[in-house]
Amino acid sequence: MTSITLTLKNTPNVPLETEVLTPDRLAGLAHDEIRALPVFLGKRQLRLDDLFDIEGERSDELQIFGATRQLKSIGRGMTRGRIAIHGHAGMHLGAGMRGGSIEVHGDAGDWLGAEMAGGLIQVHGNAGGQVGAAYRGSMSGMQNGTIVVDGSAGIEVGTRMRRGIIVIKGPARDFTGLEMKGGTIFLLSGAEQRVGAWMRRGTIVSMLPLQMLPTFAFACSYHPDFMRLLARYLSQLGIDIPHEPQDGPYDLYSGDASIPGKGEILVWRSGLSE
Amino acid sequence: MAAQLGGKVSCTLGEVKNRADFIVYWGSNPADCHPRHLSRYTIAQKGRFLPRGRKDRTVVVVDVRETKTSNPADVFLQIRPGKDFEVLTTLRALVKGQPVNPQLVAETGVTVEQLQDLVDRMKRARFGVMFFGMGLTMTRGKHMNSMAILTLATEMNAFTKFVAMPMRGHGNVTGADVVMRWTTSYPFAINFSRGYPRYNPGEFSTVDLLVRGDVDAALVLGADPGATMPMPAINRLAGIPTIVLDPKVTHTSRLARVHITTATTGISAPGTSYRMDEVPLTLRPPLRSPYPTDEEVVRRIHQAVARKPDWLTAHSGTSPIAQA
Repeated sequence: MTSITLTLKNTPNVPLETEVLTPDRLAGLAHDEIRALPVFLGKRQLRLDDLFDIEGERSDELQIFGATRQLKSIGRGMTRGRIAIHGHAGMHLGAGMRGGSIEVHGDAGDWLGAEMAGGLIQVHGNAGGQVGAAYRGSMSGMQNGTIVVDGSAGIEVGTRMRRGIIVIKGPARDFTGLEMKGGTIFLLSGAEQRVGAWMRRGTIVSMLPLQMLPTFAFACSYHPDFMRLLARYLSQLGIDIPHEPQDGPYDLYSGDASIPGKGEILVWRSGLSE
Repeated sequence: MAAQLGGKVSCTLGEVKNRADFIVYWGSNPADCHPRHLSRYTIAQKGRFLPRGRKDRTVVVVDVRETKTSNPADVFLQIRPGKDFEVLTTLRALVKGQPVNPQLVAETGVTVEQLQDLVDRMKRARFGVMFFGMGLTMTRGKHMNSMAILTLATEMNAFTKFVAMPMRGHGNVTGADVVMRWTTSYPFAINFSRGYPRYNPGEFSTVDLLVRGDVDAALVLGADPGATMPMPAINRLAGIPTIVLDPKVTHTSRLARVHITTATTGISAPGTSYRMDEVPLTLRPPLRSPYPTDEEVVRRIHQAVARKPDWLTAHSGTSPIAQA
């Protein structure tokens, strides 16, 4: 089964809503049926082939090319297959996805993997805000799955997330892990401030020292056993986490006392000196 | 938005006047910005349950600098700029008797003792009200700062009656929120492009749409974004067809393609205005105006648009990108 290749013809001047671009939707469709799928350019409903050059059919592997920064909701709710975006992706990429994988060779917009429940998203550029977050008014964000961002991330990463793993290799901005209820966030280059604000449970691991809220209390310095398990999983994705005893201990901060919550922030001790 | 995330406990200003014996102004300077507020509803008034007026009320001001409002206050807490969220989160912990880190609290500009004293006073109050202004809502953290103070007020209700209320800016901001809420169920940042309302602040809010350049036309009604929005948003407004409806020439109308002069609501046009506590007030104009009202202009634009043929049928077979 070959892949379906979509190449954007021109740069849209307003956002293009392309939630039809999921392997679930395209896998069973013939070439002509794919060409006729509806997309929304601003308020206007158009056919997919008005905007894209399309090759291939009946595949759960999608390759997307072109100036795709304005494309919203690619891979929304997907459960299987693969999407590769050779460019930047717009907002809501992989929102609510339950399986499959997405790879972006560029930046991703806000709400990357928002409320996702499974699968893998890899972004080789930067991500926007609200990575793996809950939509406004929703009680829980990411439920499971893995998000890896090679670059930086915006505000409110992992808001209200319940399960799953988010790895941000670059710096993250304010309110990382806001109102977190579970899951794990790795910050390989630290974050700006208010990390773990109002968190109930869950784990935030930082390789660099963080500006703590006054409502977090230092608990102890130790070698978490679970770090070895996580490190083994993350090494499959090419991410190296210090986990051996000789790598040095982690400082455990517990909070947020304003809830009062049982969340934990682990800061790698050796990161302090670097 | 913060109200949606954290819930909101509110009341009318009449209740504030008659009952509130504990008043907090956070990042707000009503002595300068809402000059009638203090004398009509809070400090100066005698209430039904507060017969001695000012003597029966405790006034607390939290701000980054001394203001005209902080001078007559019983307690003034001067916090460092951008530390509102930290202080509010600490207060939430202290209200529940949880421990906090004194060194990190001191970085906010106030001590744990000062905050503990404030919490004790809040718990002793019979009816507390927290007014918060743009010093809180428009600094780093934005909606999360509003959410923090609203949540604090909600949680204080485990001990005594407490409400929180925003001190809104110029124009009838509250009115716009209220009307949008009962027509669409969302207060702002609503997208109708699919024919039904969708809500997502940060994605569909005006500033973000303009900064990202996601819109290709704008209708500005009774607002002056050209004076208040960030520069990239203003540049975008200048670059696209912008229509302004306003009684007077504003910064926005200078960069707009079209300016339609309308009658001034409340002076020469009737209407309904929403007070900051969301009480609707009928406006009876004392004067007549040669200009049409906002409502009439919008209705006529709507009728003209409705007469045009449906876009899809009119443009079938042409490439939409090419025209764009």
